[in-house]
This record gives sequence, C-alpha cells and structure tokens, in this order.
Amino acid sequence: MKKKVILFGFLSIIVSNSLLAQKLYTTKVAQIKFLSSSATEDIDAVNNQVDSKMTEKGQVFFNLLIKGFVFDNELMQKHFNGEEYLNSDKYPKAEFKGVIPNIATVNFLKDGAYPIMASGNLTIRGITKKESAAGLIIIEKGKVHAKSTFKIKLKDYGITGKDIGTVISNNIQITVDAKYD
Amino acid sequence: MQDKFKKMNKKNLIIALLLAVVLGVSGVWYFIFYRPRLPRDITNEDAVSVTSKQIVKEFQTNEAEAYKKYPTSKVVEITGEIAECGKDQSGHPTVSIKSDDPFSNVFITLRQSKQLEAKVGTKITVRGIVTGFLSDVLINEGVVTKQ
Repeated sequence: MKKKVILFGFLSIIVSNSLLAQKLYTTKVAQIKFLSSSATEDIDAVNNQVDSKMTEKGQVFFNLLIKGFVFDNELMQKHFNGEEYLNSDKYPKAEFKGVIPNIATVNFLKDGAYPIMASGNLTIRGITKKESAAGLIIIEKGKVHAKSTFKIKLKDYGITGKDIGTVISNNIQITVDAKYD
Repeated sequence: MQDKFKKMNKKNLIIALLLAVVLGVSGVWYFIFYRPRLPRDITNEDAVSVTSKQIVKEFQTNEAEAYKKYPTSKVVEITGEIAECGKDQSGHPTVSIKSDDPFSNVFITLRQSKQLEAKVGTKITVRGIVTGFLSDVLINEGVVTKQ
C-alpha cells in the first residue's frame, strides 16, 4: 500500500511536470510589417495589434486585422483596404497557423538566438496557402522573441489590383516580430 | 532693339508659365501621393458612446451587425474598468478595458507617447477608431477623455 502511494506520488509529479512543460507564450502586440519594393517606390505599413501564440512544442499562431495596418499615407491605406486589393470589409482577418518542425533545437531555458523554420497555412483574403519561412527564436532572460522575414506572391492570394507589377511589386516582403509575454 | 526686348520678354513669360505648371503639377502630385497623414480630431468628432461590456457583447453575438453599428472608420467612445496597461512593440502605450468575458476585452492603442498612468480596476473613457474584432475589440488612435 505504502509503495503504491509513493508510486502514485512519483507518477503525479511526472505528469504535472510534463503538463507544465507545455508552456504557452502569448502576445497581443506582435508586430507585422510589409514592404513592397518597386523601381518607382517603396510602400510599407505596420500592424502593432497582432495576436500571437506559441507553444514549446512548436505550434505557432498569428491572427490580425487587415485594417490594423497603418500607412504613412492615408490614400494608400484606403486603396490597400479597397476591393481591388485586400478587400478588408469582406475579408477582415489574416491568419497563420503552423508548426516549427525543428523546435527541439531551441533551448527555452538558455539565452541565445536559435535559427528555426516555420511552415503552415497562411490565410489572406479568404485564400489559404502553404507557406514556409526561416526565422529566429531569441531567448533572453526567460523571455521568448520570434522573428522572421519572408516573401509572398500577391497573385497567390487573389490580389490583382491594376498597379501590381508596376508601382506595387508582385512579391511582398513580410517581417514578423513577436516579443511574447 | 525694342523687338529684341519684346522677344526676350515673351521667352521669359513662357519660362515662367512652364515653371508654374511644373510646380503646380508636382504640388498636386505631392499632395495626393505623399501627403503625410493628417491627424483626425478624435476628441471633437461625432462618436458613438458605449460601455466596454456592451461593445464586446455585441461583437460576440453578431459580428456583422456590430460592424454596422461601429464602422471601422468611425470614432467610438468606450467607458469601462481598466484591465491592464502596457505598450506595443513600437512603444505606443496601450490599455485593455474589461468586459464580462475575461478572454475578450477592448484593446486600445493610444496616440499619446507617455505611458498611461492609471490603476487596474479604475474607470476610464477613451475615444478612438475601431480597427475591428479579433479576440478583443481592437481600437487605434485612442485618446483618453476621462480618467
């Protein structure tokens, strides 16, 4: 009987430890920027209200409102949200749900910058496509910071406004920067 | 002599006219494409006043209807209890205002550069422009009107 109690005690310690290990990192103020670079001009905007979650097992999630992208130029922001481009009245959100297959290389307990790959489903303008991107997970004093820069094709997401290919580049550079709580 | 003078005058006039046209066109071009964002007068614009509890409930119950009532380009005035103060990654101060659901607040990015000094649980009124509904109701360009 005593043995059983001890065994149960050990087991519960192991179980609770593994539950604790499944830690969830969250932030509501991750930052996503995009940049369109063409011969005529650079167009960029920033969204500071991005919702993001990440687990130590390497599941990642980003969720944002298209209208949260702020441009220096008001007219550009209007065009960006218009029907020809992001059509944000009809498709208000963009989302990325994916995994970091090499998450095991990240030591969450030790400070450092760990190169990672993330792949998953990116949904923009109601269209979902597989994307993958290289990035970094930076651990500093127990805080987790994820960074990545990658390119997407506007065509893939049904964005075909008339200025694309001239003033607006076909490929847009996305920069993700998430400092988790 | 007088003829020559006339000719030169005409030439000058043409140059002046051309210059005026070029300046005019580039001015309009600049105004349309490169004009910096003019800050909106959020404090004095017409706004729908609502409590944080009410607006979150409305977005949770019927998102489409809520977007009609609180359009994304219009100013809203939110009143409620502070859940949390913070700042975003660009350094803008932020404030979360409580609803009845602990997982869904009104999240406001403020226009001011100074960190908000307010205690959790105290009442606050903030005006701002609705960005939309994620897990929180998101608001941008917030201006604190009562605290």
